[in-house]
Amino acid sequence: MAAPRWITRLRPKPLGLRARITLAFALGAALLSIVLASTTYVVTRGTLVRQREAVLLRQAYLNANQTIDAFGTNGGNILTRLQNLPLAGSKPVVVYQGRTTPIDPDVGLDAIPVELRNRAATGVPARMRFRLDGKPWLGVAIPIPGSNAVYYELTNLAELNKTLRSLAAVLVGASLLTTASGILLGMWASGRAVRPLAQAARAAEAIAGGRLDTRLEPVDDPDLRALTNAFNAMASALEMRVERDARFASDVSHELRSPLMTLSASAEVLQSRRDELPERAAVALDLLVGDVARFQGLVGDLLEISRFDAGAVHLNLEELLVGEFVANAVRASDAGEGVPVEVDDDAADSIIRADKRRLAQVVANLLDNARFYGGGATAVTVSLPEGPSPESVLIAVEDAGPGVPPEERHLIFERFARGTGAGRRSTTEGAGLGLALVTEHVRLHRGRVWVEDRTDGTPGARFVIELPVTE
Amino acid sequence: MGTRILTVEDDERIRTAVKLALEDEGWTVEEADSGEGALLAFGRAPTDVVLIDIMLPGIDGFELCRAIRRISDVPIVMVTARIDTHDVVAGLEAGADDYLTKPFAPKELSARIRALLRRSTRPNVAGHARLGFGDLEIVPDEGKVVLAGRELALTKTEFRLLCELASAPGKVFSRESLLDRVWGYDYFGDGRLVDVHVRRLRTKVEVDPANPRHVITVRGLGYRLQS
Repeated sequence: MAAPRWITRLRPKPLGLRARITLAFALGAALLSIVLASTTYVVTRGTLVRQREAVLLRQAYLNANQTIDAFGTNGGNILTRLQNLPLAGSKPVVVYQGRTTPIDPDVGLDAIPVELRNRAATGVPARMRFRLDGKPWLGVAIPIPGSNAVYYELTNLAELNKTLRSLAAVLVGASLLTTASGILLGMWASGRAVRPLAQAARAAEAIAGGRLDTRLEPVDDPDLRALTNAFNAMASALEMRVERDARFASDVSHELRSPLMTLSASAEVLQSRRDELPERAAVALDLLVGDVARFQGLVGDLLEISRFDAGAVHLNLEELLVGEFVANAVRASDAGEGVPVEVDDDAADSIIRADKRRLAQVVANLLDNARFYGGGATAVTVSLPEGPSPESVLIAVEDAGPGVPPEERHLIFERFARGTGAGRRSTTEGAGLGLALVTEHVRLHRGRVWVEDRTDGTPGARFVIELPVTE
Repeated sequence: MGTRILTVEDDERIRTAVKLALEDEGWTVEEADSGEGALLAFGRAPTDVVLIDIMLPGIDGFELCRAIRRISDVPIVMVTARIDTHDVVAGLEAGADDYLTKPFAPKELSARIRALLRRSTRPNVAGHARLGFGDLEIVPDEGKVVLAGRELALTKTEFRLLCELASAPGKVFSRESLLDRVWGYDYFGDGRLVDVHVRRLRTKVEVDPANPRHVITVRGLGYRLQS
């Protein structure tokens, strides 16, 4: 059975560079602090326990010695003697001739581990750590020489454990703090590390946006210098290439324009004498004149789009009243004759910064498109998008044609694309570059263009240009 | 003798076709295939309009334009390859009155030429004997402009532009209205025509063109003549 496709989606996304650097710093800091904290804890605990045991041992010997004296005088006086010993929390127990004398009735013979008693029975001093009621204790056994008595001193080590626990808490806290610092340091370092990349990305975006003279600032860092130099070399090569293409386009432009110039001027001379021509020649002349105009338009569009590709198009921006502009643009276009312009009141005085001629070309191209594929535009509307404070204005060209199927709505803005249904109707009309040029022009004006169904429910296409308005 | 037009174009086929089309308008057409030839032809006979392709062998269109401007105020139409290159502004600054981009329809060319001819014969303020604006004086009927007692050499378009502004001193004229009144353009006329001509006019009518006292820019609106 084939693996279901969603499995691939469960694979974790590879982390970004910044995240990886930060993670590395965090892990490093965590590891380091854990090792340091553990070592500190182990060493400190060892030292503390040893010191405490040494103190207790010394004290036990002293106390045992004092107790020995008591044996010399009066065995019955042992309890009093025990009570007078400097004990510091220890619980002495003396076992003598099967008699147990505990100072604390709770800590008697039963409390002393059998093992310790056995070791004391061999006659040598012994010590042992053990647990009593779940608490750690230290037991010291000192057999008293010259008798079979054993002096035991039992000490609760809970105090020491409490100290160790707070030490552990402090160390864990410090580790967490160190890890957190590691994360912060990692974020800062990764930010610094990727900053040149972000700058390169911004520069690349600027170049993609047409500002071909964008370069990265030279840096001293030898690691980054390679990137900077390579990037700048690439940008220079690209700029040179674009310039060469632009020159090529302008050379081609001159080469194509000259014969077209001759053709159109000659055709016009002939046309002014059309009445003098025989019938068949006049028909041929009409074909010639019509196609010279088409050829001219096609060459113009081709050159225009090649200039867009070369990034050689510069806008001649001025502030325009959108309502007035659209009315004029529709009036000036061939396909706009008789098309009503409907300008919403709140949109009429919106001001756009635009290249008048280029934007008029956009409107003319949309009107041409409506004529070729939609049976002619039915209206051109100017309105504001919905919303409280619109920052753009919508110019829409509507027709009453078959509309554009959703799956073709992106394709028709491609070069030489034609709607499938509409293409049949006029196989000879339209260069197929009109909408591609619209896209380029609108993009250069920082706007958007799209096609949708007519909003009033009537069948037909609605081509919308959205342009930013200026304050 | 009718209107004489000098066309300067190195492509013989274009030159011939344009000549045929312009002759259909009833004008006399002189031809030159280079800047040097154009200067010779210009010196030979009085010319009403010069059409210059900026791509010329030898001395180029800009150079030719400046050379003609030194000796004449004749209306000049430049033919450029592209509308959005600096060629247009450079051509206007070299002294051209108007421009066309190639390939243009001959009908469009004749329309431009007619506008230039009209411009050179009929200023708007004819009838006034003389108009004074401080040290600046305009004598419409004689086509004369005097600054501080010294007569200025304005081109016909500059003179017409100044007269339009002088027809309503102090009133702000938008670029569009000046394009319409001086050049005969509709809404889609090129505002750079006005801007460059105002700049050129200022170098003549202003004592300090950087701080104009007569032709004032009204930001975002247009220009006015200080009354």
